[in-house]
Amino acid sequence: MKTKILMSAAALALGTTTASFAEDSSDPIVIPIHNWSSQIVMSHVVGQILEEMGSNVEFVTTDSQAVYESVRLGDVTMELEVWEGAFGASFRAALEKGGLHDAGDHNAVTREDWWYPMWTKDACPGLPSWEALNDCAHLFATAETGDKGLFLDGPVDWLKHGKERAEALGINYVVKNAGSAAALWAHIGAAEADRTPVLVFNWTPNFAEAVWPGEFVEFPAWEDGCDSDPAVGPNPDALYDCGNPASGYLKKAAWDGMPDKWPDAYEVLTKISFTNPQIAEMAKLVDIDWMEPEEAAAEWLENNEAVWKGWLPEGSS
Amino acid sequence: MADAATDLKPAVSGLSTTRIFQIILGIAVLLCLAKPFLPEFLIRIPEAWIPPLANWLDTFFDFLIEDLKLAKLTRWFAEGPLDFMLGLTANLLEGKHRWPFIGPVPWATVAAVAAVIGYYLGGWRMALLGGGTFVWTALVGQWKIAMQTLSVLAVAAPMAFTLGLLLGIAAWKWGWFDRAIKPILAILQTIPFFTYLLPAVIFFKVGPTAGAIATTIYAIPPMVLMTTLGLKRVSPEIIEAGKMCGSTRFQMLTRVYIPSARTEILVGVNQVIMLCLAMVVLTAFIGMPGLGGKLLAMMNSFKLGRSFEIGVTIVLIAVTLDRMSKAWVAKLPEHFERGTPWWVRHKYLVIAVAAFVFFLIVAQFIGILDTVGRKQSLSQGKEIDRAIKGFLNIGAVKATTGFIGDFLIVYVLIPFRNALLWIPTPAFILMVVAGTYWLGGKRPAIFAAIFFTVVAFSGWWDRSVITLYAVISAVILSMFIGIPLGIFAARSEKWANRILLVCDTAQTFPSFIYLLPAIMLFGVSDVTVVLSIVIFTTVPLTRYTIEGLRGVPGEMTEAADMSGSTRRQKLVSVQLPLALPTMAVGFNQAIMFAFFMVIIAAFIGTQDLGQELQRTLAGTDLGKNFVLGMNVSLMALTFDLTIMSWAEKRKKLLGLG
Amino acid sequence: MNDQSPVISCKNVWKLFGPNPKQYLSQMSAGRTFDEIRADGYIAGVHDVSIEVGRGEMLVIMGLSGSGKSTLVRCFSRLHEITGGTIEVEGQDVMALSEKELIDLRRSKMGMVFQSFGLLPHRTVLDNVAFPLEMRGQDKHDRRERALEVVKLVGLEGREEYFPRELSGGQQQRVGIARSLAIEPDIWFLDEPFSALDPLIRREMQDEFLRLQEMLGKTIVFITHDFDEALRLADRIAIMKDGAVEQCDTPDQIVLNPQTPYVRKFTEEIEKSRVVHARVLANPVNGASIEGEPVRAGHTILQLARQLVDDPREELPVADRHGKLIGIMNRQEALDVLLGKD
Repeated sequence: MKTKILMSAAALALGTTTASFAEDSSDPIVIPIHNWSSQIVMSHVVGQILEEMGSNVEFVTTDSQAVYESVRLGDVTMELEVWEGAFGASFRAALEKGGLHDAGDHNAVTREDWWYPMWTKDACPGLPSWEALNDCAHLFATAETGDKGLFLDGPVDWLKHGKERAEALGINYVVKNAGSAAALWAHIGAAEADRTPVLVFNWTPNFAEAVWPGEFVEFPAWEDGCDSDPAVGPNPDALYDCGNPASGYLKKAAWDGMPDKWPDAYEVLTKISFTNPQIAEMAKLVDIDWMEPEEAAAEWLENNEAVWKGWLPEGSS
Repeated sequence: MADAATDLKPAVSGLSTTRIFQIILGIAVLLCLAKPFLPEFLIRIPEAWIPPLANWLDTFFDFLIEDLKLAKLTRWFAEGPLDFMLGLTANLLEGKHRWPFIGPVPWATVAAVAAVIGYYLGGWRMALLGGGTFVWTALVGQWKIAMQTLSVLAVAAPMAFTLGLLLGIAAWKWGWFDRAIKPILAILQTIPFFTYLLPAVIFFKVGPTAGAIATTIYAIPPMVLMTTLGLKRVSPEIIEAGKMCGSTRFQMLTRVYIPSARTEILVGVNQVIMLCLAMVVLTAFIGMPGLGGKLLAMMNSFKLGRSFEIGVTIVLIAVTLDRMSKAWVAKLPEHFERGTPWWVRHKYLVIAVAAFVFFLIVAQFIGILDTVGRKQSLSQGKEIDRAIKGFLNIGAVKATTGFIGDFLIVYVLIPFRNALLWIPTPAFILMVVAGTYWLGGKRPAIFAAIFFTVVAFSGWWDRSVITLYAVISAVILSMFIGIPLGIFAARSEKWANRILLVCDTAQTFPSFIYLLPAIMLFGVSDVTVVLSIVIFTTVPLTRYTIEGLRGVPGEMTEAADMSGSTRRQKLVSVQLPLALPTMAVGFNQAIMFAFFMVIIAAFIGTQDLGQELQRTLAGTDLGKNFVLGMNVSLMALTFDLTIMSWAEKRKKLLGLG
Repeated sequence: MNDQSPVISCKNVWKLFGPNPKQYLSQMSAGRTFDEIRADGYIAGVHDVSIEVGRGEMLVIMGLSGSGKSTLVRCFSRLHEITGGTIEVEGQDVMALSEKELIDLRRSKMGMVFQSFGLLPHRTVLDNVAFPLEMRGQDKHDRRERALEVVKLVGLEGREEYFPRELSGGQQQRVGIARSLAIEPDIWFLDEPFSALDPLIRREMQDEFLRLQEMLGKTIVFITHDFDEALRLADRIAIMKDGAVEQCDTPDQIVLNPQTPYVRKFTEEIEKSRVVHARVLANPVNGASIEGEPVRAGHTILQLARQLVDDPREELPVADRHGKLIGIMNRQEALDVLLGKD
């Protein structure tokens, strides 16, 4: 009995010592890739940094919502872009179940809201104030919506509550959910040539800013409780009677097992922090300059050595 | 129709089929007319009556995962043998950092070997197709992602083949197994792919492993069916000859049955390959690397040109593998004279190996044969992008499509949809039952009643009706296109082949790619949804119309000619009636395709089951996911049972066996 | 076991098709006819058949399609399980054999040729012929050698590497024959082997078959629906109808003494003089005077036609091929066969 305890104590001691001085495991670090450019390039940037340090990195294409379950299970090691608005719910759900944790914020703010490309403003000069929307509703009308305006919201699974907001603020719009981000782009793209006014859901940082300059609609500013307490916001009887937070977080998430298995890589991950312009630049390399993500990542690393060298652990080149 | 049902008559106490049909339909109509006076529970099933099916399923899955530790077993398989296999192919083809650390092979070697195989199977044309596909892939700079895709398919397809073969043998051997597996296969073939993406992730780990498993599951059913069919078709004399030669049971199976069923088994292989390729894009949601993921990324940054190029690559690979495997089915062994040396006997193997080695060596010196760099690639993505967007923005195009779109949405689709939604649930079910009874007879009608009642009690009735509305609208529309096209094409061999090639292309071209142009033309609306389904469903209608018409025995058309029929008379009174059972198969397939596509159309934006299914991808709502999938499957199966039963009866009636 | 004991002997064999044949048979009253049984929902594939096949004998089973001839022969080799009665092959009750014993029996003693050849399409001629040898696990070299030998025997030398579909029907059946002979079986079943062939080829194959049989001397059960073929080849013919044997006798006897109206219908169209041999018409000498040259017992009446017409003798002596006298033949009787009575 005694020996057993001794042995386990020794094992424990050994375990902790190896952990603290351990080198990173040679198992591959799995970085998830989704289907928008900034995230892909950022993942490759981080991947290349980790490779530089001698880690073994693998990329896996996944759905951007389903990924949290995979991080939680350790199938995927980290997630580099956790958007407060779009993925906050999935992230929090996984957090509650356990298995992953918050690995720090980027030095970037995200914003997601009703948006229009600049040409729209020509037809509806009252924008960006939301109060102009009702007067301009006819500009956004289609055969299907009749005299109401059409607002194309993000996919349902992004939980954007566009319908509720339109009702709460009494604006004369039909809110339709696009099925995917791509559907949003197609909607804008179709309007581009004739400069037809369109109103869609959009977010920043995003490649679309570079392709189609535009602005967010300014709704009553977000206040805490706007989504849970009807009293908050201009309409005392309704939820969602305000805009989305204008500065949402952009986080990194990591699998709970990462700090033990790849301590050096984990340290780098916690230090990593990109800014809005940096993220926009990454997206631009792919979306505007037609580079492949790997090349874009290499290019970005070359141009921004000063930024990322500092994240590397001391002693590594 | 009435005579088709004569065999059913005695079953139901003297009432004729027509009368029963009228009675059921009559009740349904009465219910509709009485709608304003009906109690609420006869219009829609009240929330309170709906059993918490999703919760039960969740409990069941929890039990499987937590208590039975089933996930441990599947995880072991995924992380052990499966990951090893995937690593092996991925290393060889695209150079993934896995054992045996020797890949990737230069693209030129793959192209050369593909050309040799093509030549062996189908002469110069096939060699050109095989070699050309891979040369194209390399030159447009998609080599690596294409190989990522193929490295998973290279594991998934053999897995589907092996499992399908074994299950097929078991189903042939034991009647009870056959009866048990048939409904499971039917469900697998109709259940939306979203439903098994999530379990694949949970049980088999996100990434190529889950991708391989989901692909395998999707591709298995036809392999099982073809194997069973092939084994059942082995001529009795061959079986007796085998027995009289003193074969044991095992020898009978391996040396008599399976080789004799070669043709059907190879047709199964062809189907496996095609279904695997159909999953390339969809499995990208759960970690399938390569072309699919890239395509989705391109679409999400609105690069139509590059998506188009990727689509072309997928079509080329699909057509190549399809043609090669079909040529393999038709390829019969040729004899060599005695004393032929082995290198002549295995001429093609020798050439293939030689070509492989040759290019392997040459590629060491000429870099471009090894890898085509981004800067060297001939991708025209940007230009194609401009061309597509330019075309979509031409005023005349926009005006035309705008007009068609507005007309359809305002006067056809929305009224139809509202009408369907207006019908009280029991009346709707009765109408479906009446229709299935009229067409298929008693058995399908009973199933229809059960299936639609289950759907009604699943709590997703309205969404199911909207799903059905899109499916029906699309299939009706595509009948207007597909059948005339098929009739036209069937008139000459030349046109038949041309149109069939278009069909092949349309079927393998990833539907995601035309979603975006469709949205640009018709907006995020039901028209876009319906039209993108139509593109997909017109294919089988056209194909089977051609096949049905061309399959009409020559004597019958000659008899019609000799009776002095005009072309039109011949078509209407001889060819079409005889082709109808075959066309029904096409119609059935069109409906199945529509149920498949309507779920993909969720990416445009719908309010149906597909939208909810897409939503479940985000979380771990396994139970809800399955309930939704089940609804789609049950509705699809109702159609399947009814139409197939009708076609079967019709065939018997016409004496077409 | 001596040479006299039959190779195949079946007694009161029944083969019924239907939902529960064993039970039905055990409760069935004796003497139930084919039609009565059918009315009860069963088909009598084999209807109370008792028949024997002697060593070295060629028994031809003749009948129209659906008469049960193929079923009967499949019962001999237990490709079909019989419903009642016993079948003994070389003194062994085949129904009592275990699966392994049955396989051994087929591997060592039986060969079978099929109407549509039953060749394995993916194997060359040589591999098809060697198939039964392969099944019993003979080594590759041996079986190749033996297969070459048999291929040569059936006259397919030089075609060893062909695939079945590259051969004509006649050639394919030669492969089938070669395969059935590869294991040197004692008992040879042929199920309408020449029916699928063109008439000219059929004739040629029959000649070839007779040549082989002369050389090999097997015990043969040969099935045909062609009465001419049966007469030409058989030592004895069993004529079947509705699963039952109507008559089993030598060709001469069948032609001369058809025992049922059904058999008579077949014989009516037949040129009897081509079938009936002098041997059959030979009566015991019984002290009658014998004059002049005897006629050969093995000749048909047709072959003797000219002599019968010209010869003035009333009684012709008949001698076997060694010249030994076996009886005398009444000339008028022979002429009746030749020209028909009345």
